[in-house]
Amino acid sequence: MEAFDKALEKVVTALAYLASAFIPCIFTMIVIDVSIRTMGVTPPLFTSSIVEYGLLYIAMFSAPWLVRQKGHVAIEALVSILRPAVQLILAKFMYMICGLAALLFSYFALQLFLDAAYSGQLDVRGVDMPYWAQFLPMTIGFFLVSLEFLMFLAGLRHYYSYDLSEIKDEV
Amino acid sequence: MEWYWAGALLLGCVMAGMALGIPVAFTFLLTNIVGTCVFVIGRQDSFAAFIDRFLLQVPQVVDNAPQLITSFTLSPIPMFILMGSLFFHTGLAIKVFDALDKLLGKIPGRLCYLTVIGGSLFSTLTGSTMANTAMLGSLLVPEMQRRGYSKHMSMGPILGTGGLAMIIPPSSLGVLLASIASVDVGALLIAGLLPGFVLAGLYAGMITLMLVLNPDSAPSYEIEPTNWSEKLYQVVVNILPMGFVIFLVIGFIVLGWATPSESASFGVVGVVILAVVRRAFTWEAFKTSLIGTIRVVGMVFFILMNSTVFSQLLSFSGASRGFVGWATGFEVAPLVILGAMFLVLILLGMFMDPVSMMLITVPIFYPIAGELGYDLIWFSLIVLMSLEMSATTPPFGLLLYIMMGMVKGTTLGQVSLAAAPYLLCDLILIIILIIFPMLALYLPSLMGG
Repeated sequence: MEAFDKALEKVVTALAYLASAFIPCIFTMIVIDVSIRTMGVTPPLFTSSIVEYGLLYIAMFSAPWLVRQKGHVAIEALVSILRPAVQLILAKFMYMICGLAALLFSYFALQLFLDAAYSGQLDVRGVDMPYWAQFLPMTIGFFLVSLEFLMFLAGLRHYYSYDLSEIKDEV
Repeated sequence: MEWYWAGALLLGCVMAGMALGIPVAFTFLLTNIVGTCVFVIGRQDSFAAFIDRFLLQVPQVVDNAPQLITSFTLSPIPMFILMGSLFFHTGLAIKVFDALDKLLGKIPGRLCYLTVIGGSLFSTLTGSTMANTAMLGSLLVPEMQRRGYSKHMSMGPILGTGGLAMIIPPSSLGVLLASIASVDVGALLIAGLLPGFVLAGLYAGMITLMLVLNPDSAPSYEIEPTNWSEKLYQVVVNILPMGFVIFLVIGFIVLGWATPSESASFGVVGVVILAVVRRAFTWEAFKTSLIGTIRVVGMVFFILMNSTVFSQLLSFSGASRGFVGWATGFEVAPLVILGAMFLVLILLGMFMDPVSMMLITVPIFYPIAGELGYDLIWFSLIVLMSLEMSATTPPFGLLLYIMMGMVKGTTLGQVSLAAAPYLLCDLILIIILIIFPMLALYLPSLMGG
């Protein structure tokens, strides 16, 4: 399991770096686009479409890494006052339902991706974008998110700031 | 199902999920599944029929999720956060503070005034409240403690000024609010400029008042005298170039040369140019800034993506329409309803982060505000002010925790008390905005002209 977790870490970190690489790409494209427009030349039509899709890729490619980094904001105020045993049960419940929901979304995103790819459906924007391009990052992102929660469920890491490892014995 | 039951179910699911400690983005995701089962699929004759409908309808939720996130108007958010991050990691921010420090003479509470002036300037260069507070705290708290400032005088001005980034453009939360509420992003950003500076003035006034009441709370100390040529050098080399970045962002919007989405990218390029010219640019700083940006943006965008369907469910279930009809059905002055909405935001802010609050309240509050005849740009500014206040209200005010992390051995009570006078300033500004709405609407009206 630990070897798998290490491999998973490499994948989610690589995807997070890819997500951050979208940011300089986006501002460079926009600056070039506006500069061309200011010079009186018609700018390329694809800029807005690429930027819009880029935002989705940023969200989905950084999501699994953020789960690993405990970067998705959660409110601990109420849970932190509960008994440690209850905290552990709640934490395990949370890992399970979040993992299952992400897996479900990944499955449906894959279905939509395949449907859109086979039908050749287009998303009408500044330039027509292949519709499947919306569901590709969702399939990958949600699937990796579900794997990250599986690692939490397996007890490899803990999402919350209170240290659950101390209370395992008590339960 | 009656609208109030529908609203209670959807809002209750979100609240319960958050209370159980489920990450906010996943709380919305799970609520969407529950909401779809209840309102879209509904009661079926058999379990098999329910599963059939489930397999048909939930993909629709997945299909709708990217709708809001793939919007060009959201593109300034990463840029505004990256700008602030670059300023901090390249060391440009510290240079500005050093310059401002030299400009201020030997006055009582000089570090408090430095906080307000520097924080306001930095607010025009970053869109992140957290970055602003963290930067002010890390730069000034150790120095204030060394100089014998009391806890409330060292933490209070930073907590107040840190929140200015929420209303002074460029504001990431402003862009987010405008995108969710479908109001003009550029107009909202510009609308925050004058009120933001008035608020900075109120903070300075509050500091003066507190110094008069308790001069020992921020003792005066000897400083190395700076001659005029040195002061001029500092202004020309370290402060005036910041005007270049401010012009690229705010000037481009006001002059109509670029949309807010586009000017944000110019802002980033401006900071990079400035850092290169000042020989402060390193790839390491750029990489660290990008990673810091993705941490915030990834989290916000993922919440946003999962909450898109939540707004649609509120509308589909009739809850939004019901809330509007109910709230506008009372025979009370619109100001009373505005006050009630303000109170709801403050109460929610005690337990929730600003993004979640926006996502829950915007689909309900904006139709009500529209129905009451409020200008939505003005109303958005009131919402932003409320969010700013909620960020410094216990027990969940995010800025309070940032401050507690920086000032070791401080309790939540001490930090909250230090923030209280500045919350009063925020409240005064809201009252000023209610009496003189043109304070917010004057600059956007020039854009329209």
